[in-house]
Amino acid sequence: MQKPIATTRSASGIPTGRLAIWWLLASEIVIFGGLLACYLLFRLGHPEWADAAAVTNTAIGATNTFVLLTSSFTAVLAHQAAERGDGKKAARFLVFTIIGACLFLGIKSYEWWYEISHGYTITSNGFWSFYYTAAGLHAAHVIAGAIAMGFVAKDAAQGKELQRVELVGIYWHFVDVVWIFLFPLLYIAK
Amino acid sequence: MTEHIDQTAPHDAGEHHDDGHHDVNYAKIYVALLVLLVISILGPELGITWVTLITAFGIALVKATMVINNFMHLKWEKNFIKWALVVSLLFVALFFFGVAPDVMKHDGLRWVNDAAIASVERGIEPPHGEEGEHAAEDGEGEDHAEEGDDTTVEGEGEGATETVAAAFSAPDAYSATCATCHGPNGGGDGPGAAALDPQPASFATTEFWDEVTRESMVNVIQNGGAAEGLSAAMPAWGALYSDDEIQQIVDYVETFQP
Repeated sequence: MQKPIATTRSASGIPTGRLAIWWLLASEIVIFGGLLACYLLFRLGHPEWADAAAVTNTAIGATNTFVLLTSSFTAVLAHQAAERGDGKKAARFLVFTIIGACLFLGIKSYEWWYEISHGYTITSNGFWSFYYTAAGLHAAHVIAGAIAMGFVAKDAAQGKELQRVELVGIYWHFVDVVWIFLFPLLYIAK
Repeated sequence: MTEHIDQTAPHDAGEHHDDGHHDVNYAKIYVALLVLLVISILGPELGITWVTLITAFGIALVKATMVINNFMHLKWEKNFIKWALVVSLLFVALFFFGVAPDVMKHDGLRWVNDAAIASVERGIEPPHGEEGEHAAEDGEGEDHAEEGDDTTVEGEGEGATETVAAAFSAPDAYSATCATCHGPNGGGDGPGAAALDPQPASFATTEFWDEVTRESMVNVIQNGGAAEGLSAAMPAWGALYSDDEIQQIVDYVETFQP
C-alpha cells in the first residue's frame, strides 16, 4: 500500500506524525495559555470575582477531573497495547477513553444547564464570561478528541495505523492537562 | 501486521525508545494522580490561603508534570520538542507580564481606571429574581446576603433593571467614581489628585460653590470637564449614570459644602 511521504519520512529523527502533534500542542499552549493568563490577570485584579467563583460546583468539577484522569489512563494503556502490536486491545482501550469523553461532556452539560437555568450566563459578568469561554473551548477539544479517537480505534481494531494510537493519546493527555489547571482556577480558588 | 507497524512507526522499533517501551507503571501513576486529586480538593477546605494555593495550584503543577512525563512520554522526547513547548510558554508569560500592569493595577502615576475600580466596589451580584435567591441558598453563602441587604432596598424580584435602579446609592457612586480624585470627603485630595494639573475641584471651599450652578455641575458630571471649559481630565459619566442618578450625586456633593 502506498504511504504518503510525510508518514514514512522523518528528517528530524522523530516520526513526522508525532512531530506534528507536538507542534499542534505548542500552538495549543498559546491558545489556552493566553486565555488562562487573561483569566488570571482579571481574577487577581478583581477580588470580587471570588464571590462568583464560589458559585461553581466543586463536586462536579472534581468528578470531571476524575473522569478525565481515568480516560488519560485508558489512553496510555491503548498506546501500550499498540506498541505491543495488539490493535484489538488498543481499540478497546480507545473506546473506553471515548466513553470517558462522553461522560465528561454529559456531566458538563448538566452543570451548564443547572447554572444557566439559575441565571448564571456568559453575559452575567467577567467571571462567567471566562468560565463559559474557557470550559467551552476545552469541551470543544474533548469533542474533537473523541471523534479523532473513533477513527483511530476503527483502524486500530483491524491492526492498521497503530502509530496513530500514540498520537491521538498525546493530544488527549494535553486536553487532560488543560483541565488539571482549569479545575483549581474555576472551582477550587474561592 | 508487525511489518506494517515497523514501516509506519519506526520509532517503536528503535532508537528513541532505548529504554524499551517506556517501562512506566501506568497504574501506579494513575493511582498517584487520584491521591493528589483528593488532596487538592480537601486542602482548600481548611480555608487557609497558603494551604489552598499549594494544594490547588502546586498539586495541579505536579499532576500536569506527571501526565506530561509519564503519559505523554515527553521526558523521552528529543530536546527540541521540549524547547518548542517552552518557547510557547515563554510567549504566554511575555503576554501575561506585558499586560499585567494595565489589567491588574487600577491606578498609576497619571491614570485611574475608573471602570475597574467601580466594578470592584460594586462587586458581583448574584442573578436577580427567584432563581438568583435559590442559587444563593445553594452555595455561596453569607457574603451575598449581606450585600443584598444594603443594595436591594425596594423592588425586590421585579426584574433586573428595577433592582439595579434600587441598588443605586449616591454615596456609593461617589466613592466608586469621584472619590479617587475629588477625595472621600470632597476635599479634592483623592489618591489620583496628585498627578493632575489642574488639580481636581475641592467641594469643601466657598470659591467652588461661588463659581458653579447646579446645571453646570450636572453638565460636567454628564459630559466631562471639557463641556464647561474645565479640565479634560474630568471624565464624562453620562453613560454610567442616569439623569436622576446624577441629580442624586449632585445632592450628595452639596453635603460637602462648607
